[in-house]
Amino acid sequence: MTVSIAIPTGALTGGALELLNKARLADLSADELGRRLLIDGADLRVILVRPADVPAYVDHGAADLGIVGKDILWESPGTHYELVDLRFGGCRLVLAVPDTSGLDGPDTWPPLLRVATKYPRTAMAWFETRGQAVDLVRLHGSVELAPQVGLVDAIVDLTATGRTLRENRLRITGVLGESTARLIANQASMKTRTAAVQSVVSRLREAT
Amino acid sequence: MRRWGYRHVITPLVESMDVLDLGLGSEQRRRLFKFTDAHGDVVALVGERTVPVARLVAGKLRTAALPLRLCYAGPVLSTDEGRFHHRRETYQVGAELIGAAGPVADAEVIALAARCMEATGIRRYQIDVGHAEFFHGIMDAVRLPDDIKAAVRSALAARDFVALEALLEGTPLRSAEHELLLRFPALRGGPEILDAAGGLVRNRRSEAALSELAQVRELLAAHGIGDVVVLDLGAIRDFDYYTGVIFEGYGPDFGRPVAQGGRYDTLLERFGRPAPATGFMIQLDLVSEMLTRGAALPRIDAALAWSGKGLGTALRLASTLRLFGMRAIVDTEARSPEDARAWWEAVGAANLVHCTSDTRASWTSAGKRARTLPPEQVAARLAGGAQ
Repeated sequence: MTVSIAIPTGALTGGALELLNKARLADLSADELGRRLLIDGADLRVILVRPADVPAYVDHGAADLGIVGKDILWESPGTHYELVDLRFGGCRLVLAVPDTSGLDGPDTWPPLLRVATKYPRTAMAWFETRGQAVDLVRLHGSVELAPQVGLVDAIVDLTATGRTLRENRLRITGVLGESTARLIANQASMKTRTAAVQSVVSRLREAT
Repeated sequence: MRRWGYRHVITPLVESMDVLDLGLGSEQRRRLFKFTDAHGDVVALVGERTVPVARLVAGKLRTAALPLRLCYAGPVLSTDEGRFHHRRETYQVGAELIGAAGPVADAEVIALAARCMEATGIRRYQIDVGHAEFFHGIMDAVRLPDDIKAAVRSALAARDFVALEALLEGTPLRSAEHELLLRFPALRGGPEILDAAGGLVRNRRSEAALSELAQVRELLAAHGIGDVVVLDLGAIRDFDYYTGVIFEGYGPDFGRPVAQGGRYDTLLERFGRPAPATGFMIQLDLVSEMLTRGAALPRIDAALAWSGKGLGTALRLASTLRLFGMRAIVDTEARSPEDARAWWEAVGAANLVHCTSDTRASWTSAGKRARTLPPEQVAARLAGGAQ
């Protein structure tokens, strides 16, 4: 019985393909997959989708398994099982302010903090537990730009090396969470196709 | 459900918030559509129907002797649209067996749920049976500080085994219970899983749960559904609500359960009539989605067209075919033979019968030539083929 796995386009594609190769599940190049989006192997069907769409494919059962960054899971909790920390694609979700800003921590925040982010749900929950009122501006790209042009006081964004932040004269004043790639599974696949799904899961776990 | 002696009850779609507050957890309350009535009281559209049934049993039916077997059908609403597969309005059919404790009652409700799934037309299905007490026993026995235990619970509720592993790795004490928690999603299978788990748990609550599951399994085999039952010790459900045997029904190639249920022995006492209880509900909108996706729309066995004096014949023939359990539709207007064939194709039925008089009917089966026979013979042949 073929098991299907959704893997994300972008930063995690390379790591995901390397892992599938190491687990001897599929030997694919990014180019090959990029051209076809869907490849049927003997035991595994590989589907290439946008990172934010991986949980949707898995929760709805279009894919039995998925490889996805934890940052995506923070924003869209669902009915899937989160099974394995695959330990690649590491990055942090941070609160950053302009170098010149005096906002260093909760004590220095204004009564209403204006924050731009691609992660509104995670950011809102984090500020709520700290009792801070925030005006969240949801952006879809180039979040680093927002404080420089006076749109917001701070940003909540993902960073791996911190280079983009430095280049935009931003400094990190808080860490909301650390993200790596995770293996997730559809709840019904775990129950109705246990043997086939578990075998792929354990091969991936061993290859991690 | 009537054949199992379950009485149909009708509970209101709009309930007072005071009633729902008693029965629901905070998360469920949050998802209710709420508004105020003319007196300024807060009311809500029900998000499930077990609480209204419990109120009925403790209220209007308080003098009725237990156990009570009740069933219901109706829409429920939720403000939580979630992602695309949660809908605001779903249609639930369910049954509750109130006032009976123990494996016999548990097995009855599971077997009824299975038969209901069959009745909807799902051909292949699976029922996962677990036990809330197995989990409670492990959580009692596992030696962890309270705050870590709370974190373990919420990690399990979110099905986040990466977080669970991190939590348990950070604790100095390791035990068989740690291993069980980490292997939670894999604790499933046939009766052998009970022995395997029995070798690992060392607490009374979990052991009692395992022996109850063994009994329920045997009873389900006696009910004739042993082959669709899978034991699932790692079932993750609302453990604050369920107190005993829990179960979920899965159809083929559908990413979520279509039926769920279990024992909830503490709900009725909140309404002032303490009683053990177990029940289940099937989400009919999901079942219908699953069935239509498989292109398995109900097949029409016979399309009955008529012209001239044939209407009476068509109506009699349809009655006969329906007696034999066949699906028959009678045309609403007279048609010529050519028009009838076009109508037949549009209907997509297996057979066309064109009735032209009291004594003659022209029968066409898909891919065969038309034959003219007396209506009784058409009925006999069609019904004979259906046997």
